[in-house]
Amino acid sequence: MTFQDATVLAPFIAAILVALAILTVDFIFPGRKVPALIATFMGLALIAVLVLITGQSTFEAFGGAYDVDPLTTFLDLLFVSIVALTMAFAPDYLEERGLPVPEFAALLVFAMSGAMLLAASGDLLVLFLGLELMVLPGYVLAGYHKTDGYSTEGAIKYFLLGSFSSAIFLFGLAFVWGITGTTNIAEVAAYMGQVAAGAIPMSPGLGLALAFMTTGVAFKIAAVPFHYWTPDAYQGSPTPVTGYLSVGPKIGAFALIIRLFAQGLADLAIDWNIVFMVLAALTMTLGNLVALQQDNVKRMLAYSSIAHTGYMLVGFAAYGAGNIAGMEALLFYGAAYTFMNLGAFAVVAALQRRTGVTSNLSTFAGLVRREPAMAWLLTLFLLSLTGIPPTVGFFGKFLVISAAVEVGGPLTALAILTVLNAAIAAFYYLRVVVYMFMRDPAGELPRLRHGRLLWAGLAVSTFLTIILGVFPNLLLEIVGVAAAAI
Amino acid sequence: MTWLNDLPIVTLVTFLPALGALVIAFTPTGRPNMARYLALGFALAAWVVSLVMLAGFVAGDPAFQFTESLAWIPTFGINYAVGVDGLSIVLVVLTTTLTWISILASFGPIQNRVKEYMISFLVLEVGMIGVFVAMDLFLFYIFWELVLVPMYLIIGIWGGKNRIYATIKFVLYTLVGSLLMLVAILATAYTYQSGHGGSWAGAFDVQALADYAATGAFGGTFGLIAFGAFFLAFAIKVPMFPFHTWLPDAHVEAPTAGSVILAGVLLKLGGYGFIRFALPLFPEAAHSWAPLIIVLSLIAIIYGAIVALVQPDLKKLVAYSSVSHMGFVTLGIFVFQQQGMQGAILQMVNHGLITGALFLLVGVIYERTHDRTIAKMGGLGGAVPVYAAAFGFFVFASVGLPGLSGFVGEFLTLVGTFAANPAAAAVATFVMILAAGYLLWMLQRVLFGELSDFLKGLGGHLTDMRPIEALTLVPLGVLVVVFGLWPGLILDLIGGSVDSALAAVSQAAPVALGLWR
Repeated sequence: MTFQDATVLAPFIAAILVALAILTVDFIFPGRKVPALIATFMGLALIAVLVLITGQSTFEAFGGAYDVDPLTTFLDLLFVSIVALTMAFAPDYLEERGLPVPEFAALLVFAMSGAMLLAASGDLLVLFLGLELMVLPGYVLAGYHKTDGYSTEGAIKYFLLGSFSSAIFLFGLAFVWGITGTTNIAEVAAYMGQVAAGAIPMSPGLGLALAFMTTGVAFKIAAVPFHYWTPDAYQGSPTPVTGYLSVGPKIGAFALIIRLFAQGLADLAIDWNIVFMVLAALTMTLGNLVALQQDNVKRMLAYSSIAHTGYMLVGFAAYGAGNIAGMEALLFYGAAYTFMNLGAFAVVAALQRRTGVTSNLSTFAGLVRREPAMAWLLTLFLLSLTGIPPTVGFFGKFLVISAAVEVGGPLTALAILTVLNAAIAAFYYLRVVVYMFMRDPAGELPRLRHGRLLWAGLAVSTFLTIILGVFPNLLLEIVGVAAAAI
Repeated sequence: MTWLNDLPIVTLVTFLPALGALVIAFTPTGRPNMARYLALGFALAAWVVSLVMLAGFVAGDPAFQFTESLAWIPTFGINYAVGVDGLSIVLVVLTTTLTWISILASFGPIQNRVKEYMISFLVLEVGMIGVFVAMDLFLFYIFWELVLVPMYLIIGIWGGKNRIYATIKFVLYTLVGSLLMLVAILATAYTYQSGHGGSWAGAFDVQALADYAATGAFGGTFGLIAFGAFFLAFAIKVPMFPFHTWLPDAHVEAPTAGSVILAGVLLKLGGYGFIRFALPLFPEAAHSWAPLIIVLSLIAIIYGAIVALVQPDLKKLVAYSSVSHMGFVTLGIFVFQQQGMQGAILQMVNHGLITGALFLLVGVIYERTHDRTIAKMGGLGGAVPVYAAAFGFFVFASVGLPGLSGFVGEFLTLVGTFAANPAAAAVATFVMILAAGYLLWMLQRVLFGELSDFLKGLGGHLTDMRPIEALTLVPLGVLVVVFGLWPGLILDLIGGSVDSALAAVSQAAPVALGLWR
């Protein structure tokens, strides 16, 4: 490891150190949340600064195994925001249930370090390492409420299917290594270029490798028909964890898809893109149709997160068909989805501050009288998830659709399917609004008190949901640079 | 008034209500009157500004006036571009007028959650005005969708018994149409962009797109499909048969003021969209689609009238009469005749004034009786003479009595239709008899005869109109008379818009139907 390697790696190293620091702080002040939270947020700020400093231009470390480019920078900052927002929303919920905050923070930061590794990987092994480092803390987090049977059940399902899919994915990587003789993504890409040009024949092994890798990543992003673990894992997990799981590992898995498919296997796009198009169509349609039938808001949001995966896949399919705007759309949507979905989960979690409250639709009845601020904020996030302007969610959909329409052909059909799905989604998102505003509460409940940190996090999500919807150019330029880096 | 051109007056009139909504949001919750008067104040301010704009408007000039343009999303060449032409300004003034009237009319009936109600109403006004002044397709779409949310809340929170069903139906219908239109907007912008060497500049600019469309760029199969998407969005809004089924539910469940705005302005968004966007962008496809649209319009005119004839509910009757009246609007637009289109626009304004007033009147009686069943009414003429006079006046206006404004719009539409398609004109004229039938029969059952037992049972609750209620109706009545006697007031304003919309269509030939395959 040279000095330059170390500087390029600084954000990643810092992430590991921050996680350790949080654990140390907890050791010094056992069971106190404030010191741990201070350590967490200061650590995250430090990581963000390091990312911005090292991400100024393109770097390579460890002989191309670790690459930093604008895309890495963008994704890293997104991961930091995800963890920061989750940490703003989680403490209220955790404390009420007697769950420790410091370990929670440390696990999240460990997971984030894995995602950062993923986003910067230039080598298949590093890619897999990052993936595992990202998902392993996720399994623990899903079962974080260890006295709750559902939490444990969800965690076990998540763990079993997660490991299973990781193995499938690894199997695909092994095939690629066996055929190409290298694990370096750039060299793999060069080999695939020759395959695409006809210089090297397409072998059955390569086909199998593609199938295994596609299946593996489809599991990770919870694309239909590989989504069965999602609803149980999401519903069982503590709500702040659900919020995190629906965003963090998902964006991470998309980073994996970008690094592997858009870079390593770019020249075989004609072979894999059709699969992604079918996955996109199935994922958004089925996710929405099943979400339609849910009476539990948390479970509904879980299925709707499947649908949003579908929309992002439309963007990716547009990119696979040769339109760079598709990648911009995917990245923009990822960021938009982060802010609005975490915001929605934050409100659901905040309302569960009173233990024993399920997130059943009926518990939202008449919410506007009890907690007007929460009701209006949830309405905003749900409208954004629906894609009503002027919110960031609308512009995300706008970009995805426009990228697909620009390609034309079957992707136009996919764009039309996307908007029809948005209309279906409107029904179940608005149903929550109906309950909050238009139905009377079942009984009188006292108002809850919410922590300042929660309000601060909600303020940030709200601000970004609106401001990026009205002035999307702020984000559009950033994702433009990031997408151009591929 | 050249100083007007230095002011961002269009932005001012659009966002004054938004400012009002913001101010009201910060008032204390327990002070409903504060919210009421603030809302009325801001609505009146927007109205005054729109009148100033009208006064400064040069009627003969067909170009957009008071234009403003700011780069907004340069990556896609999207601008914040607003301005008004004759058609826009007429509809903007209609909107600002009906909004303050509706807010005033809500003072009595709306008693719970007044603050949220007033905020919703002002946001609704922003969306409606925005649609009429947007000169950028993207901006237009934003405002178009913005209208949806407050209306959803107004029907869903302050509506009648079946309000949740009605409001969700309203939103889903509108959303499906508008989302498909979004795809068409994007496809159109891409066609423009790829025809201009990949440059996005102007790809969402309404004027640039229309100029490009004049070269036949959006013709062929693409035009047919894209027009279809626009058509669906606008047809749902108008609403045209067979996309009208959301309307009776929404009207019946909406609070009175919501119905007024729904009938008065929201339905006009569809007609405006046809004239401003669908015709200039896809003139060839418009020709190909016109026969179908004319037939659907005729069905709407007949069907709306027949269904209105048998309605037992007063409000539902007025709602179905809207379907019939709006049929004249689409008919007038798609015969591609000068008089036809002028008539269609007049009909839009008149329908806004007259049907708005009728909904207000239904609201007045509902306030007292809490019932709208026609069969339970009767003899109101003797009991509440002022109310009866007003009711009779607006019903006659709706029938199309010469001298009142309803007549002029329908007459011009029929003249234009006759020149283009005598058979269609004959059918539509015949229906005017039906209209007289259902309206006058209703009038007879409600106003004349003995006071019904149901109304007698109300005793002292059956009072005549209060001054505040009369105040909401007087401006509408005055305008109905003025436009009835002097339609030139509006015709002068809209002449340029009509001519340029028709010029675009007349130069185009219909897409050969072989392309449908």
